[in-house]
Amino acid sequence: MADFQYPALYSFPPFFTRQPNATTWSTQQSAWSALILAYCERHRLFKFSVGHELFTNTELSRRLPTPAAIEVMEAMVKQGKAEWIGPEKQEILVYWKTPRDWANAVYDWIDTTGQKGGVLTLYEIAWGQLTASTEFHGLDETVLRRALDVLVERGVAKIFGSGDELGVKFF
Amino acid sequence: MHKPAGLSLLLRDSRSSASFQSHGSRLRSSQSSTLQTQLSVFQSLLLQFSKTHAKDIRSHPEFRTEFARMCQALGVDPLASTGSKKGSSLWAEMLGEEVGGWYFGVAVRVVEVCRATRGENGGLISVAEVTARLNSAKGQGEMVTEDDVLRAVGSLKPLGEGFRTLELGRLMMIRSVPKELGGDQRVVMEAIQVLGFVTHSMLLDNLRWDEARVKTVIDDLLSDSLVWVDEQAQETEYWTPAFISKT
Repeated sequence: MADFQYPALYSFPPFFTRQPNATTWSTQQSAWSALILAYCERHRLFKFSVGHELFTNTELSRRLPTPAAIEVMEAMVKQGKAEWIGPEKQEILVYWKTPRDWANAVYDWIDTTGQKGGVLTLYEIAWGQLTASTEFHGLDETVLRRALDVLVERGVAKIFGSGDELGVKFF
Repeated sequence: MHKPAGLSLLLRDSRSSASFQSHGSRLRSSQSSTLQTQLSVFQSLLLQFSKTHAKDIRSHPEFRTEFARMCQALGVDPLASTGSKKGSSLWAEMLGEEVGGWYFGVAVRVVEVCRATRGENGGLISVAEVTARLNSAKGQGEMVTEDDVLRAVGSLKPLGEGFRTLELGRLMMIRSVPKELGGDQRVVMEAIQVLGFVTHSMLLDNLRWDEARVKTVIDDLLSDSLVWVDEQAQETEYWTPAFISKT
């Protein structure tokens, strides 16, 4: 996974200082957000914390300070590209694909494999053998839950059970 | 012998210089009509040439550069014909669609790059960087040279002052906002180009500016988004992404 292509800005020392100019900061913030999304997608990460090594460039001995990192993550949350995990605001769920995208992927798979009317556990969807070749195999549980919520809202799925034994019925 | 009196000297001088002048202008006009003939022969040959090689001109960057240089030397601007209406020269019909149109396509892509990076570099980017970005974008037409980019920006001139090229230090830059760089700003940007970054004390020591002048120019550059701050160095450093070049 070493072949991740860092943007040119990543070797630019000021990229790791919060820029005082509002216009520049907004550009810098979007560049960070794009970098985090691309990095997580490349490494299939669903969670990303404020202490992640991506914020540190050891070659340059530079580190984006935590308050700035939190600001970047906050902006991602506002744009629907992430969601805070817990009120401490230290970690986000990263939506390099949105819950809606995942919902579509799951539902397409249900549809094309003729499983409408069937019941699956959340574990089967994320880790079952049947989904081994799908893009949502290995999907983070919380993200999967958000995706299924989308389908429930659309009236094409129903979640029942509790705790570890959650099941979904698709229509 | 007496020298001729002042007035008559003036008179004689002006008489002889008048005759020299008329002789000179006769020579000039005969020479210029010969040159005119030669030039139009060249131009028609060039037109012939461009008809035969339109495809090569578009697809080979070096060939194109040479062709453009030839055009320029002969006072033919293949780009000037692009926007012109009917009734203009054969050039307009021939090159307007072939070569001029090609440059216009490049210009559109240059504008896109400038727009996309404006937030980052405050609307100042090196021609080299733009060229590198155009060539790294996949599936976007033929390879372009820095020369093509410069010409393409030139073709945008009729659209106003929004896009200009300017020389900064040893680099050609594209300025995509209608704002001049001040004298001090220029000096600092050139220093950054050479040194990679500057600090307050570097400017104080090397330029012998006083503290207030240094602070003013840095603040101006910051507020125009032309420079970025690095606060994690020993002394605060000022960098500019205008010279970031992916290698």
